[in-house]
This record gives sequence, structure tokens and C-alpha cells, in this order.
Amino acid sequence: MSNDIESRMRAALRPVAPREEFSQTLLARTLIETAARPKPRGFTAARLRPMAWWLTASLAASLVLAVGVHQHLEQQRLQQSGLEARREVLKALRVTSQKLNLAYEAVKSQSTSLDDEKSGV
Amino acid sequence: MNDAAADPLDDELAKARSGDRAALGVLVQAHQRSVYSLALRMLGTRDLAEDLTQEVFMQLNGNLRSIDSNKHLRFWLRQVASNRAIDQLRRRARLQWTSLEEETQLFSDEEDSDPLLQRHMRALLAELSPPARAVLLLRYQEDLDPQDIARTLDMPLNTVKSHLKRSLESMREKTAGPLPVRCEDNST
Amino acid sequence: MSKYTLTLLIALLAPGLSWAATSPKLTIPSFAGLAQKASESVTITLDPAMLGMAARFLDSNDPQDAATKDVLKGLQGIYVRSYTFDRDSAYSQADIDAVRNQLSAPGWNRLVETRSRKSHADVDIYIMVDHDQAVGLAIIASEPRQFTIVNIVGAIDLDKLHKLEGQFGVPKLDIDSSKAAKPGQK
Repeated sequence: MSNDIESRMRAALRPVAPREEFSQTLLARTLIETAARPKPRGFTAARLRPMAWWLTASLAASLVLAVGVHQHLEQQRLQQSGLEARREVLKALRVTSQKLNLAYEAVKSQSTSLDDEKSGV
Repeated sequence: MNDAAADPLDDELAKARSGDRAALGVLVQAHQRSVYSLALRMLGTRDLAEDLTQEVFMQLNGNLRSIDSNKHLRFWLRQVASNRAIDQLRRRARLQWTSLEEETQLFSDEEDSDPLLQRHMRALLAELSPPARAVLLLRYQEDLDPQDIARTLDMPLNTVKSHLKRSLESMREKTAGPLPVRCEDNST
Repeated sequence: MSKYTLTLLIALLAPGLSWAATSPKLTIPSFAGLAQKASESVTITLDPAMLGMAARFLDSNDPQDAATKDVLKGLQGIYVRSYTFDRDSAYSQADIDAVRNQLSAPGWNRLVETRSRKSHADVDIYIMVDHDQAVGLAIIASEPRQFTIVNIVGAIDLDKLHKLEGQFGVPKLDIDSSKAAKPGQK
């Protein structure tokens, strides 16, 4: 039934959460990016307020967190790339061996036919 | 359905547009799952998905003032995430789903998850073109109707319906047959 | 039984081989049109940096990884393009000629040419040799629904390739490094 398939597809495609570390980095970077932006024009005096010390501290903490997490993510990324390179090498050699095998089988089969012909004479 | 029902995130959006960083944080946390999942299932690896998710929210920062409601925000995020993913897949010929690793977790591992169906879904996602993949995800992950999908992707409605029809047919074939064997050696 | 070894062939060919400026790295077209038609495509491009990275992640304690690591030593690149189609004759020989034509350049020598009626597969193996050392390998395999191009660049150690036997299903290539190959021997 179409509805059954569709509901099962919906279940399978329920959104998944990103890693906690990534969530924190995403939040930190978004906030830092916002802080770095110039205030929008027409920002009235009524909305201006001095930046609270806690806001400064939290920004600094976000920055430190973002840098630390970024380095960790970079390391993980390198590892991911290395593992992918390894997989590619194995796959390449697998394909190479398959084709060498094809040639080998053809040669072997030809050799066998020639020998059969000779012994049949 | 009452479209006029108040969306609590509308308030957060209004605050965020005025520069309230905490409100922006709330919005990021509310929508990151959806954006990340779209990116992950489009691009196939966690690293690429995280990069794309980051880019989308960075872009949001610069466009916040043009977004007037949470509903509009959801539309904007889906549109940007889908289109960026499609562009990336078109640009990077090396992003072949034929080399997709089984270890990349594309689906949730909640109690009622169906590993067999997930395997079929993985195979289906791999065989779809980027636009067709986006259509499938917007329909079954984001629960958009075909018209909204057409608007999001700037795609003719008939094309959307055609993609959905073919995807469903393919899924029916997969679930009707035996479990697909993972073919590593193409011995002839 | 007539046998020949790769070592023998290289020994036969070596005196006449010219090591010219031809690069052992082939220029492989993008095959964009074919990739779109293919039901499955494999595109692997491993330059020295990627090979180095891969080698760091091969586990010396694992027999397959260790043997692979050994083969990789001295290699400068591995390039694979393989396209599988849903029907016969979806590609033409002209598609592959852009690569095949490069293999008639000085330096390349066809080592093996097989045409199999049984498997309907044509496989050509080319080698480039410099001072008795294989520095380039090219394989072109044409099957009814698949074609594959493999290009390996660098110091290819055929003995080590031979030792991969059983790891990837690499066949015995009848290489016995203890026997000296004599010209004319069969």
C-alpha cells in the first residue's frame, strides 16, 4: 500500500541531530559572526545599552570554545580523509586485480585450448 | 488548520532581527536538525553536511532582516540548504554515492527504526539525481506538499510529481524484492 | 604447455624499449557523457599526496593492509575509471580511443592482448619500462556492459603485486623471481 510505504519512508527520514560538538560550534560561530557585524542602521538610542560584562565573557568563552572545537574538528576531518584515501586505494587495487584476472583467465583458457589441440593431433 | 495560530518562534525571530543574539541562538537550535538532516542525506557524509549547515546559518545571519516570520524562515532554510547541496553535487564529480560508506549514519537509531527499510532508502537516495533527491527529502523529511516543493526548488510542479512518482515506484520495487546485496566485485 | 611470465616479457622487451619523454601518466578524459548514461561509475584519482595519506592509514598488522602498503611504496599515482551500463554496447570503442591512442606513444609496450569469446571481454595490458623497472602500467578492459581504464604510475614492483595474490583475488602471474628469464624461452 502506497500509504504504508510513504509512512515508513517518513519514519526513516525523521530528522537526525548533528553531533553535540558540532551544535556547540555552530552556535558559537553564529553568535560570534553576529557580534562582528556592524549594528544595523537606524538603531535608535533607546535600544542602545552598554554591553554587559557577562556578554563580553560569554563571547570570549564562545571564541575559545569555537577555536578549540575547530582544531578538534580539523583533526577529525584529516582522519576522515585518510580513511577515505585508504578505501579508495583498496578499491583501486581491487578493480585492477579483477581486470588482471580477466586477462589471466583468457590467456589460461587459450593455453588450455592449444594444449588440447596438440594432444588431439 | 489555523495558519494564523501564533508561532512562538516568530517572537524570537523579531528579537533576532533586532540584534538579540540569544534569540538567534534559539532559532539556530530550533532549525539546525532539519538543515543538517537535509544536508546529510543530500551529500552523504557528515563532514560535508556539517560544512553546508554552517554555511547556511552564516548566510542566514546576513539575510535575517529580510525574513519576516518563522514560516518564511523555514522556507528560506530549506531552499538555501537544498539548492546549495544540489550545486555542490553538480560541481563535485567526485561526490559519488557509489563510494558512500555504510558507516555514515543517515538515519536515526530510535527504537522504532527499520534497518531494512533504511537500507532500501540509502540505495534509493544513492540512485537519485540531486534534484530528485531534494524532492524526496522535502516531501518525506520536511513533509512539504508538491506545490511547496516546487516553490522551494523553483521547479515545475509536474517535474516534482514525476520525481515523487518514480521514487515511490523504485521504493516499492526495493521493498518487494530481496534485500539488495552489496556488490563490491563486478565479476563478469 | 606454453607459459610466459611477465618477467620474461619484460626481459624480451627491455633491450628494445625506448624510454622517451612519454609520461607514464595517461590523460584520461572526463567521460562526462558516458558517466551520465552509466548505471554505475567508479572514479578514483590517487595522486602522490593521497597515496601518502592512504599509506598512513593502512594497518601494518593487517595482512591485506600490509601487502597493500608494500605495493604503494614507490608509486606516484593510481587512476581508475570504470563505467557500467544497463545494456550492451552503450559505449563505443571511439570513447576509449582517446586513451588507447596515448598507449601507442614511444615508451609504452603492449604486454598482453586478450580477446575472450567466453567472457566477451577484451583486455589489453601495457607497460612502460625504464632500466628493467616497470614505471607505468595501463589496463584497458572492454566488456559488453562495462569498460575500465586503470593507470598506475611509479615504480611498480611486480613481485609485490604478485604477493597480493589472494588478498584481492589477484591471480598468480607466474612470476618466479628466482628464475632468470632467457630470451626465446617458452
